[in-house]
Parts: sequence; structure tokens; C-alpha cells
Amino acid sequence: MTLLAPVEKPAPPVEKRPVRRRVFGYPRRASVWTYAALLAVVAGSVFPLYWSLVVSSQTSEAVAQVPPVLVPGGHLFDNIARVFDSTDFGQALLNSLIVSGSVTVSVVFFSTLAGFAFAKLRFRGRKVLLVLAIATSMVPQQLGIIPLYLLMAKLGWTDHLAAVIVPGLVTAFGVFFMTQYLGRAVPDELLEAGRVDGCSTFGLYWHVVLPAARPAAAVLGLFTFMQAWNDFFWPLVVLQDNATVQVALSSLASGYTTDYTLTLTGTLLATLPILVIFMLLGRQIVGGIMQGAIKG
Amino acid sequence: MRAALSRLDAKGSPYLYIVPFFLLFGVFGLWPLLYTGYVSFNDWDLLDAGEHTWVGLANYRELLGDAYFWNALGNTLSIWVLSTVPQLLAALWIAHLLNHRLRARTSLRMGVLLPNITSIVAVTIVFTQMFGRDFGMINWLLGIVGAGPVDWQANTWSSHLAISLIVAWRWTGYNALIYLASMQAIPHDLYEAADLDGANQRQQFWRITVPQLRPTIMFTAVISTIGGLQIMAEPLLFAGTSTPTGGSDRQFQTAALFMYEQGFREFRFGYASAIAWTLCLVIAVFAVANFLLTRRIANDEK
Amino acid sequence: MRFLRTVGALAAATMMLTACGSGGGSEGGGGDITLDVNLFGNFGYEQLYKEYEAAHPGIKIQEHTAAYNDHHRDLATHLATGSGAGDIEGVDTGFIAQMREAGKQFVDLGTERQAEYLPWKWQASLTKEGQQIGYGTDVGGLAICYRRDLFEKAGLPADRDAVSASWAAGWDKYLEVGAKYTAKAPAGTAFFDGGGALYNAVIGQAPQGFYAPDNTVVVASNPEVRKAWDLVVRAIQGNMSAKLVESSPEWNNGFAKGQFATIACPAWMMAKIKDQAKSFAGKWDVASVPGGGGNWGGSYLTVPKQGKHVEEAKKLAAWLTAPEQQARNFTSQGLLPSIPALYDKPEIANYKDPFFNNAPVGKLFTTAAKELEPQYQGPRTGDIQTTIRDGLIRVEQGKQGSEQSWTQTVSDIERLTK
Repeated sequence: MTLLAPVEKPAPPVEKRPVRRRVFGYPRRASVWTYAALLAVVAGSVFPLYWSLVVSSQTSEAVAQVPPVLVPGGHLFDNIARVFDSTDFGQALLNSLIVSGSVTVSVVFFSTLAGFAFAKLRFRGRKVLLVLAIATSMVPQQLGIIPLYLLMAKLGWTDHLAAVIVPGLVTAFGVFFMTQYLGRAVPDELLEAGRVDGCSTFGLYWHVVLPAARPAAAVLGLFTFMQAWNDFFWPLVVLQDNATVQVALSSLASGYTTDYTLTLTGTLLATLPILVIFMLLGRQIVGGIMQGAIKG
Repeated sequence: MRAALSRLDAKGSPYLYIVPFFLLFGVFGLWPLLYTGYVSFNDWDLLDAGEHTWVGLANYRELLGDAYFWNALGNTLSIWVLSTVPQLLAALWIAHLLNHRLRARTSLRMGVLLPNITSIVAVTIVFTQMFGRDFGMINWLLGIVGAGPVDWQANTWSSHLAISLIVAWRWTGYNALIYLASMQAIPHDLYEAADLDGANQRQQFWRITVPQLRPTIMFTAVISTIGGLQIMAEPLLFAGTSTPTGGSDRQFQTAALFMYEQGFREFRFGYASAIAWTLCLVIAVFAVANFLLTRRIANDEK
Repeated sequence: MRFLRTVGALAAATMMLTACGSGGGSEGGGGDITLDVNLFGNFGYEQLYKEYEAAHPGIKIQEHTAAYNDHHRDLATHLATGSGAGDIEGVDTGFIAQMREAGKQFVDLGTERQAEYLPWKWQASLTKEGQQIGYGTDVGGLAICYRRDLFEKAGLPADRDAVSASWAAGWDKYLEVGAKYTAKAPAGTAFFDGGGALYNAVIGQAPQGFYAPDNTVVVASNPEVRKAWDLVVRAIQGNMSAKLVESSPEWNNGFAKGQFATIACPAWMMAKIKDQAKSFAGKWDVASVPGGGGNWGGSYLTVPKQGKHVEEAKKLAAWLTAPEQQARNFTSQGLLPSIPALYDKPEIANYKDPFFNNAPVGKLFTTAAKELEPQYQGPRTGDIQTTIRDGLIRVEQGKQGSEQSWTQTVSDIERLTK
């Protein structure tokens, strides 16, 4: 604490600012405490993942050592090789990419479209329909799988990726999320101005709403992708020939007993691609949030 | 002509925009649910290939007198409160922290969001190891500070705490970023005016930030309620043996897990469907109550 | 907009991939048929598939494996919806009685092979109407695996024959050894792993278990059920249990940490111990099970009627479970055959395992499997076992006393089976 305090003193932002600036800029400059708190939060977020890496690089005997093993060992590649021996992991990764990619694009597009209508357009039955859309997300989904499976069997889609993609193309959550966001982010005056300029409704959507929705779309897109990637229950039931990553993981657990080193190596491998996407796009997504919505 | 087209556009296009949602949802979301509703009025053995007899409200009557259902509902509410309330408060705090001029701000934000990209399966396996009775990391830490080892699965309170932590760990960062996105949208001049009035940071946070976040807070509260009351995978995996009873004395069996047990272990599809619809009703009540409550709280702050 | 464009390009790319990536690949050209075999865990059939395909041109075999519970839940879903099941579906002992109740969904495999099988193995998959729904694959047999070094430290005779003899008279003797062990137990160890597994071993030897042959549940009225309960409770109250739940992560750790000195041990458990407790090589040994007979685990191959190629599937299932293939699976996978004629073959009868101090495991396990008296297994046997296990855990956890837990267990079972 006493060690940290002096760091703050040499450069108080207030004095260094040009005189005409206000005393407090906005957003405010972070104090050492802010950094400390955030670092603690991030450490807590990262640790369980780090620890699963540690376990993945050990033999199964190391899992329960006291004091706990905190440094990676040398068995990571052995364990990875075992995962690829046990399942067709490459194909599963590709399948998951196809599913999650299609679902994400579709959810973002349709949610923004419907969110625009609900938030900014006047039409008969708007409120009722919105409540209906939200209400749909309240029913526990796990039990819908039997009728859904019957439907897929009728359509001949079982064992095809379409069986996982199509039910995911829209989500009530996405519509709700976009409705809430667009209601705030798009000023009515802007839309009025657009109408005066002769924009059609779709023109407004394309030229005004879509750009304004970008930060929210990035966030929704990321979350949708993650959710589709990590979805497990439904793909397991409906896909046997075209396993997604999570389904492939299920085959790693053996009949009577479970090898947690192997399972955790598998989950680590399944998380890796999404981690890479997160690293690449996450910057843009988080950056998108940063730029803020209210500009136009 | 042009005017007519434009009128048609204004009247018709809203429906056009919401139709894809309702169409797809109707077929792949609503129909299965309505079918489940029909099933709930039947005695329906899952293994018996669709053989069923109409029993009217019998499943619902049985449910209301079923001590295990009430037990599961109580557990659900307990875990929901234990996970949601601290989670949303922490998210608000983290969002506030992130809403500063920061070095490495992108990395910090990504770090906070990281738990959300992991799969429930992976997370629960890791946490279950950490909450282990004999060699778990948490009991080891407790031992260092002189506290006795806790059999996390055995007790009601400890299992609820552990499961809540797993849930909260995964979702706090997510909610924080949603709050942050809204904080970014709050007009700066509100704070500037408050600065001029001499309001301190804490006052500004409660008087400006929180009320401005009202729609977002309501949104996250409702979503957390809907999600939180459906929790199933975490307690299922936390048990370690894939037995869907939620512990030796059902001490951490949630309502959704009870439904899963009845449907996919007992194969009582009709009864499980009745649970699904009852749970849905409970969630609706809580979501609406939550919505009204948060709106009121946020209004009061104003 | 750059982000959206990136996403758009990604989408277009994935759409194209969808177009060529997923479409129905299961039927090959030229009239080939593909047999889908859905299993859980490791049956070790890869090599056998290759040979079968080579010997039967036009047949391709595709195996799908899932985790134990997931697999059986999916099978139930597919039976319920009348589609989606594979041509061959593996079913574990814990689920076979339940599947048997839905017997009309499975192809009748006839009676030709009845004479080959262990009688109890054959009966477990036989419906009341006399329809056979599954060919047995392996059985578990049962022995007691024990840690020589821990026995020595506790001042007990550690020699295999002496250990076997010490509890040959039955489970009461096993508990006597346990009491002696517990009195001088090395720190951090208990006599056995957990109450549930012990209970199953004990009740498995009774002439009647949870069911009467007419499918009525006799848990509350059969004195054997309560007798086994009291015995295990006595062991728990004597501090002999490490209080680990079988198949849980903590139980897994228990091997590596050496938390227990004995464990009820079917043949497939040996691979588990070798894998989890590498550092204890040579310290483990195997003694015969108290009371002589026992089994834990083992599986069946069934042919659902909804499969596309029922006749071919029947042939494949019969071939995979034929004596010759079962014998090979013992050598390659350590899976004990369910065909007793094989037990006298030298590669099984003389099989010894160096990890277990060269114990004659082939003989030990086959003896237990042969001596096991058939006990009628009703549809919910597996779930009843789990319910009793949970009841015993409540006692282990100190949540309830024996009486209170027993009352709750009985009412839970009544509810389960009504």
C-alpha cells in the first residue's frame, strides 16, 4: 500500500492537463486501486482456465496433489495425442465452426431487424408481440427436445448439421437485447431526419440502425457464437454422424470411470479455437463497445 | 403513387421485420413447447414409444403434493439469489472500474469476459475438483488459515454456495460488459454538470450512472432470472457421478434438474412436461416481479 | 462496418462449407451399406470391424461412442421417437433390465446361443415373453483388490491366499478384518472405498435381490436387502469407509492418493487402478471375493427394430460377441468373456498380472463369475442401487442415522417403482 501510493503522486492528471480542461476529464483516469481491483478480477477469471491447462499437462495422478500443482508439467502433448486418438476431433472442430458461424450471422441479422421494428416502429400489436417474444425464453428448453427431435426426424434432418443450425437461427434473447439497445442508441430525431430525406424503412435500417447497432451487434455476435459453440445437450441427441466439438468431448469420457486429465485436455482443445477467435475479434468487439453508440 | 408505397412501407414493413423471428421460432421453439404442454396432460412413458393415456390434470395435482418438487424449487430459489444478487452487484462494480481511462483497457475487458467463453462442462469439472473434500484447493486454502475442511457437496448451504460461485464466475464478466456498453452511452455532460455542482464520485455513481442504466439493469435482472431459475447443468455435473438427484439428500437438486431426472431417468415424460410448464409459470412470475421491482428501485434512485 | 463485413464473409464461407460438408454421407456408392454401432466407453472393437469389413464386402461399419449416461439417455430418446437409433446399440448391465421392458422395440435374437452363455448373463436380457434382446459382451466378475503394503503396515497377513481365506466365510469376516485394519490403519487410509459399491457386492450374492420374478419390488420385505444394509452401516460406523462415491472425481483421486486398502474389484477395474495408481505397481494384489461369487458391470449388444439394416446388424452383433472374438477382447482389452467355455482356455485361466503382484486374476474373476447364482433383476435395479447408495452416503456424511436413512430410502424406492 505504501509502496503503491507514490506511484500515483508523480503524475496527477489534473496538473498536467492543459488549463482549459475541466478538473475531471471523462471517462475518469484510473487510480492505482482501480488497476489493483481489476487485476484481481482478471486473475480470478483466468485462474480456473489456467488450472485446467495445468491439469492437462500432467498425468492423472497429479490432479489431486496437496499442496496443489500450480505449474504445467510435460505431458500436454501426450494428452493431446490421446484426445486425437480417441475421436475425430478435426472434423468436429470444422462442424462446430460451421454451426456457430451460421447461427451467429443469422441471430445478429434477424435480431437487429426485429429489434429495430420493436424499438422504433409503430405498429398494431407491438407490445403484445414483444412480450410474447420475451416470454418464449422462459420455458426450460431441455424438455422441448423430444418433440423437436420428432420434427427433425420428419424433416429428415437428423444427423445433419441443419438440425442444430436451423433452430438456432433466431433467439428471443437476441431480439430482446437489440430492442433494449436500439431503443436507447438510436435517437428518434435521426430516424425522422432520415424519413424526411426520403429513406424507406429498410433504408433507415441499413443506413441508420445497422451502423448504430454495431457495438451491440459485436457483443451479441460474440455471445451467440460462444453459446452455439458450447451447446451440448441438443447436438448430442440429434447428431451422431456429424459430431460437433462438444459431442466429441462426450465420447472422451469412458464407460465406468472417467479420466479427468483426458477430459480436461479435450475441453481445453475445444476452448482453444474460441479463445483464438476471442483474441482476434475480441479486441474489435471490446473496441466497438468503447467507441460508443451515440455518435450520429 | 409514391405516397401510397411509402404508407405501405410504414405499415407493412414492421411485420416483415419480425416475421422471420416468429416464423422460425414458431416452428422450432413454440411448437415443441406446445407439444410438451399436450404431453403434460398424459401419462406418457418415454421408453414405450409414444404410448400414452390422457390423465387431465393428474400430473399437476401430483406435482403440487410432491415434496421433492418443493424441495427442488426451494433449492432453485436459494441458488438463484445466491448467484444473481452478488453477480449483478459485482458486475456493476466491475463495469464502473472498467469505465475509466485505462492502460491495456482492451486486455482488461477481455480478461473479465474470459469465463463466459468456456463451456459449462469444463468449468464445472474444474470447480468440482477445486471444491473437493479431501484434496480440493479451496479446502487446502481454508486449512492454511486454520479453518476446518468443508464437505462442500454434503451440506445444503455449502453446495448452494459452491454452485452459485460456478454460475456467478461464468456470468459476472458478461453482465459487466453489458453494463459497460450502456455506461459508455451515458451523455458526458451529465457528469460534467454534476462536477460543477460538486457531487463526488460515489454520489454521481448512484445518482447518474445507476438511473441511466435502468433499462440495462432491468434487462440483465430479467435475463438472469430466466437463466438462473433454469439452472441444470451445474448441479448435475457438480454431483460428480451424473446422478440427477442433486446430492445424497437432494440438497442441491434444482427444479430443472428434477425435471431432467423425471424425464430422462424415470422416463416419465408426462410428469416431466408438467414440471416444465409449472417451472415456466414460476419463472414468468419472478421475471415480471423482478422487472417491476428493479424498475421501482431504479426510479427511486433518480 | 469492418466487423460486420468480416462476419459476412465468414458466413458466406461457412454456407458454402455447409453445402458440401454435411450432406448425407452415410450411404457409400455401389450398394454398400453402413452399419451404425452406437456404444459408450471403450469396447475395443476397431480391429474387429476391419476384419469384418474385409470378410464382408459391401458392409461398412461406423462406430459412435458417447459417455455412459449420455449414451443411454439418447437411446431412450431414439426409442421414444421411433427413429435415430443405430443398427446396433450397446446397453450396459445397469440399463438392460429397463430396455428389456421395452422389448418390443428390439429384434428378437432367438435362443440358438443360449447354451454358450453364463445363465445369469443370458437371463438378464431375456423378456418375460422369452424374447432375447441382446447378446452379452463382457462380464465384470468380482474379486477384492487390496493393498499388500497397507495390510502389512496394519499388522495383517498380506499374503493372497491368507487374505482370501480370512474372509472366505463371508462378509462378516470381511468386516472383522476391516475392524482389525482400522485399529492400526496407516494415517489417511480407510479399509474400503465407499458404502455403495460394497453394498452391491453383498446384495449381489443373495438368492433374491430387489425384485421377485414377477417384477414386484421386495426391497421392504426381503430380509436380505435390510441385512446387507445393516452390514454396510456397521462398516461405516466402524470408520472403515473412505466415504468416496464410486465413479466420482474424488473416488478417482482416491486411487492415486491411496485412500483405501480394499475395493470390490471387477475385471475392468484393474485397468482403472493401473491407470490411476501407477506409483503403486506391485503393491496391489487381488484376493477372492467374500462369499465366492459376484459380478459388477458388463454389457450387451442390442439390435433396435427401427434400424435400417436389421438382418446385417444381427449378424454383426452375433459375430462381435462370438466366443472367438470375446476371447480376443480379453487378451487385448482385459474384458472378461461372458461365455464360460472360454474360462478354461490357458490364455484366460493362467493369466497373471504383474502390476497386481502376479495375482492369478484370470482364475479369480472367472471363478466369481461362474459361482454367481442368477438373481432376478427387475427393470429399475440400477436406479434402486443408486438410491440405496445415496441412502448410505447420507449415513456416511452424518446427515442421517441408519433408521431414518433407511426409511427414506425405502420410500424413495417405492416412489421410483410405482
